[in-house]
Amino acid sequence: MMRGWRYWRLKTKLLFLTLFVSTLGIALVCASLIFVENRNYKKQLESELHVIAGILAEQSAAALVFEDNVQLTSIISSLERINTIRQACVYNEQDNFMTSLVGIDEQPCPSLDQRLELGFVDDVYRLLMPVSLGNETVGRLFLSSHLEVLRGHIRTFVWVAIGIGSTILLALVFLALRLQRIVSGPILTLSETAERIAMNHDYSIRAPVSGTDELGRLGNTFNEMIGTIQQQNLRILESRDNLERVVDARTSELSMANRELEAFSYSVSHDLRQPLRAIEGFGQALEEDCGEHLNDVGKDYLRRIRAASVRMASLIDGLLILSRVSRQSMENHSIDLSQMLREITDELKDISDHPPAEIHIQPGMQVVGDSRMLRIVFQNLLGNAWKYSSKEKKRVIEVSATLEGSVIAIEIRDNGVGFDMRYIDKLFVAFNRLHTPSEFGGTGIGLATVYRVIRRHHGTISATSEVGKGASFVVKLPVSGDQR
Amino acid sequence: MDAHSILVVEDNPDDQVLTIRALKSASENSPVIVLEDGQEALNYLFGDEAGHSCRNLDSLGVVLLDVKLPKVSGLEVLKQIRCSPRTNWLPVVMVTSSDEPADLLDAYRLGANSFITKQINYREFTEQMTVLARYWLQINKVPKAGSAPSIG
Repeated sequence: MMRGWRYWRLKTKLLFLTLFVSTLGIALVCASLIFVENRNYKKQLESELHVIAGILAEQSAAALVFEDNVQLTSIISSLERINTIRQACVYNEQDNFMTSLVGIDEQPCPSLDQRLELGFVDDVYRLLMPVSLGNETVGRLFLSSHLEVLRGHIRTFVWVAIGIGSTILLALVFLALRLQRIVSGPILTLSETAERIAMNHDYSIRAPVSGTDELGRLGNTFNEMIGTIQQQNLRILESRDNLERVVDARTSELSMANRELEAFSYSVSHDLRQPLRAIEGFGQALEEDCGEHLNDVGKDYLRRIRAASVRMASLIDGLLILSRVSRQSMENHSIDLSQMLREITDELKDISDHPPAEIHIQPGMQVVGDSRMLRIVFQNLLGNAWKYSSKEKKRVIEVSATLEGSVIAIEIRDNGVGFDMRYIDKLFVAFNRLHTPSEFGGTGIGLATVYRVIRRHHGTISATSEVGKGASFVVKLPVSGDQR
Repeated sequence: MDAHSILVVEDNPDDQVLTIRALKSASENSPVIVLEDGQEALNYLFGDEAGHSCRNLDSLGVVLLDVKLPKVSGLEVLKQIRCSPRTNWLPVVMVTSSDEPADLLDAYRLGANSFITKQINYREFTEQMTVLARYWLQINKVPKAGSAPSIG
């Protein structure tokens, strides 16, 4: 329809519609009045001319019979007084022209041999009437009248109609302006209320409602909806408060549990070690002080007892580290990984009695994370590579890093005994070992600890291996340190 | 050598025996005084309620104080030792069986002179005690208790 119709204000729309419909109505009424008036006036003109023609025909019948042209002219000239008559012609019995009265345009009288167009033609009304004497036709009378009077009449009528119509329209505009408030008022109030609610988020506001018509019902429904929203908001707030209370309670429970766990692991570390130390210590004292009373079997048993207590102690240490890396808070810093790896391998060379290895560490590797925890990770991974390659004649350990988008992938590769990929599921689970203690010593906690530290750094660890050909561990860490 | 005795505060009887054995093998002539808990240590150093106070501490060369003790903890005893002008000059070596990082920090904050973790392997433990006794009793020098300037 009209461009921008939907951007118009409601008031404007209502006013426009009222004006459009009223103008259309007034125009239609005026047009039909003009039409009717025009027809009536024509009929009146027609009958007037017929009466005049009839009178003339009657007067001129005798003069026609006697072919008294002077008499005829005098009769017709009486028409001069009627100013609408344009032309009057008289014909005798043989349709020959007798006399005429010619008006302003001075056209010659038409010949009756041709067919004459009669009635309203263009701006002219034409009439041909037979002149009779008794039952005998003695001649014919032709009248032509112009319609200027009719036009003038209609013109006046149109002006009057336009005048009256405009007055009525003005009155209607005034009335419409007053009356449209009845309809648009409640809608505008409702819309203002809705805007206010949306702007202030104040759902306690209600729209004023009057009446029970559609607008009244709309207002009521609107208020009900706002009421529902208000109640729901209240309920949401209540449940949020509840949730916060629950979260607070859970948090304090959790931190209590955490404190208990810390106390527990402290006790474990202190109290479980003490008896082990006693077993080991008295075993040694026994061997030193009373060794001469023991035979070789007794000494072997004693050695086994002491070895078992040392193994148990390293298990406890491993568990402690595992529990510590799970609960300790992390401090992320940028770390020179290459430097850290060199330190770890130096330690390995110092404490280990395994044969030396060829170790390649890519220089310039950088990671972000908690240095204490990541040190534990790479101590374990390099320690494993060191341990499981110890039986090779020429052993090689390689550490390299590649950047994969926002992730750094660090690969630790050795050419040791490797492991069977069938048991990969057990690799990172605590206390699961893929080698017997007689093959390689270990607690089975190291890789579980590695896994937990990597998880806490939002990274991943994967391993691939082929039995007898070595193993490869790939640690992936986010470059920025904290990516969730 | 004036200060040559060692005060050991250790609650566990096994550890007492093992510690004494290790210390004896290190320096046979040094007297070892063994106390069983924190309260006993405080009584020994500061005198008990019965009034047996003012024990002469001159002969003490070093105190081996277990971190975890019944009644009064080792760290609390350390605090008391450092608070009193009578004892604040004493060399104190904290001894623990766990390597809890928090304890380590607390001990040094309270003024410990040294902190060692008891080794499970008895040979290594003996080695620790030997080094310790040799350092604190033979190499290190401590002032006499009487010559310590009194504060306040």
